[in-house]
Amino acid sequence: MKRKAILPAAWTMARKDLRLYFRDRSAALLGFALPIALVTVFGFVMKIAFGGQDAMGRVELWMVDADGSARSAAFVGALRDSATIRLRPRLDEDAVDEAEARALIADGEAHHAMILDPGFGATVEAGELPAIRMLRDPGRALEDRIIGYGLLPAFLEASEGKLWPAQIERGMLEAGMDAQAADGVRAAAESMRGIIASFAAPGPGGGEGDAASAADPTGSAAALGGLFDQMVPVEAEDLAPPERPKMLTWQLAQTISGMMVMMLMFGLVAAGSSLIVERETGSLARLLVAPVARDAILLGKFLFVGIVGLLQIGVLLVYGEAVFRVGMFRDPATLAVLVFTLTLAVTSFGILVAAWAGTTKQAEGLSTLVILVMSALGGAWFPIQLFELPLAAQIATRCTLTHWAMSGFQQMLWNQKNWMDPDVLGAVGVQLGFALVAIGLAQRLFRRRYVGG
Amino acid sequence: MLLEVKELRYSYGDRLAVAGASFELERGEIFGLLGPNGAGKTTTLSCVAGGLADWQGEMRFDGRPFAPARMPEDRARLGVVPQELALYPELTARENLQFFGRLSGLEAAELAAACDRGLALAGLDDRADDRVSRYSGGMKRRLNLVLGDLHAPELLLLDEPTVGVDPQSRNHIFEALEALRESGRTLLYTTHYMEEAQRLCDRVAIIHEGRVVGAGTPKELAAQAGVPDANLEEVFLRITGHQLRDGA
Repeated sequence: MKRKAILPAAWTMARKDLRLYFRDRSAALLGFALPIALVTVFGFVMKIAFGGQDAMGRVELWMVDADGSARSAAFVGALRDSATIRLRPRLDEDAVDEAEARALIADGEAHHAMILDPGFGATVEAGELPAIRMLRDPGRALEDRIIGYGLLPAFLEASEGKLWPAQIERGMLEAGMDAQAADGVRAAAESMRGIIASFAAPGPGGGEGDAASAADPTGSAAALGGLFDQMVPVEAEDLAPPERPKMLTWQLAQTISGMMVMMLMFGLVAAGSSLIVERETGSLARLLVAPVARDAILLGKFLFVGIVGLLQIGVLLVYGEAVFRVGMFRDPATLAVLVFTLTLAVTSFGILVAAWAGTTKQAEGLSTLVILVMSALGGAWFPIQLFELPLAAQIATRCTLTHWAMSGFQQMLWNQKNWMDPDVLGAVGVQLGFALVAIGLAQRLFRRRYVGG
Repeated sequence: MLLEVKELRYSYGDRLAVAGASFELERGEIFGLLGPNGAGKTTTLSCVAGGLADWQGEMRFDGRPFAPARMPEDRARLGVVPQELALYPELTARENLQFFGRLSGLEAAELAAACDRGLALAGLDDRADDRVSRYSGGMKRRLNLVLGDLHAPELLLLDEPTVGVDPQSRNHIFEALEALRESGRTLLYTTHYMEEAQRLCDRVAIIHEGRVVGAGTPKELAAQAGVPDANLEEVFLRITGHQLRDGA
């Protein structure tokens, strides 16, 4: 009797499992319908939750103080105390210049950077509105609104109300008032400067009130910010990658990446448990005495789970692109690298769970726990990286497969990077490392559990 | 001599399941391995089949050292019919046969012939393309049997192949096994049913507490036990005792 080579034997195994998988049509259909349903629901919920005008959070703003005056320092200080803005660089970080700020936004590391040009302080002292430039990623509309809320109180505080009349005049002109009437309004505002200065000053009823109410989008200062946000003389410059689709928001890219990774993990762990089913039904006993290398059984399962994963992710990508138009297929080579890497890593995880678990229930329990924890930590449910995480949480986040898988897709979708970019290669490399470790462990467990000596 | 097993020992942790079993199989015979529950029959069969690896003792096949757990080439000389129904219920009988046939190394032409031969032997020609989940217990047992013989192994190992089947299916299995013997196949057969062993086996070994405590033709065993006119069941009870055996 001729011994069958390992690859044909593994392929025979995989074909049989594919036949079994698709024979149970309800289960197969659920495998495809569940991720689609969740992506749809989460996609729309996130779009509504984070795309609305009243949504608030504490968002990052990079600062380039090229003026270096007492006024600019006061403005930076007021922004640092803002309840809506998290200023970078932090006090323990090195200052950045404009070129570095531009690079941060171009790389997707930052979404907003403010430039205070030389002369900022002198212009304020002269009672005139200074030029404030804002470099921004136009896809981060939510963050743009939140930063807008934070700017006015800080600007009022830094200028001690000195610029209030000029701001009023600018606001009126922006609203379409003719120059003569606007000048009259400015004159009236001059008479109220003392009151405004008192309102803007730090302390009870002053700056604290601004900060507190700025955190509450329904508060008085927030209303003031919403009403007068045109009064802060910001000139915005958009720095988006040229090929990014206009429909794509950062939150949508995050949601699609996260749901895709999480649901693929659930799907492939379920597929991987066919190894346990073989054991429970007795067919593994016959496979183990077949004249093929025992590793062919594990490799066959790996092929089966991988093929199911590629099919699932393919259907999900086509559906996501058809509904959300996020430019998923803009760079097929990068997409292929990311999909292949993700499938490899998740397949390895599924096989590891199957090799470890003694029963189907064990596999279900372990996989549900690990997947949900990794999904939450990795940012698949909500954009955890928007928040200031403690160091331990940051490390935990980076230990998850979901974090790196999502990072790869975000780099492709949001930052429009290709597979040769170091950030994408880093995400790919970590996933490949995860896959190698997982499949190595799975092989050891399989041999110990099923093969013996 | 086709298979020689000497001083076979196997432990599950601290529990010694096979404690030095020795027996020999001649080519072309049906050899019965009889014993009460927990005597070590299935463990012995698993060691021979390659399902268990860390056994001690010696096995020789056709005069050569035999290590089926580690050598796929050695496993290729065996066919195994496990006690459990090792089938894929959502595949048809033909698909089950094709899958295990391919895994056994059969090429397309010989695979088709082997599948047809197996279906005929199991009496399932007219239900070949039905899913196994729709089969009766007896039909599943018959399919389970022929799956082990698909690649025409030199030695077919059968672990209680008639458990839970009706008399018709049992008779069909007997006839199939006799046909295999006539075609020159060697069979190692474990069973609880003494009348089966009496009808089918050329020689039997009675295994008790992990050791072979008697071996030979049924008549030779009866003589050894001092009851020359007794049937195999009476001999078996005389050798192994009447107390219940509820061990694993």
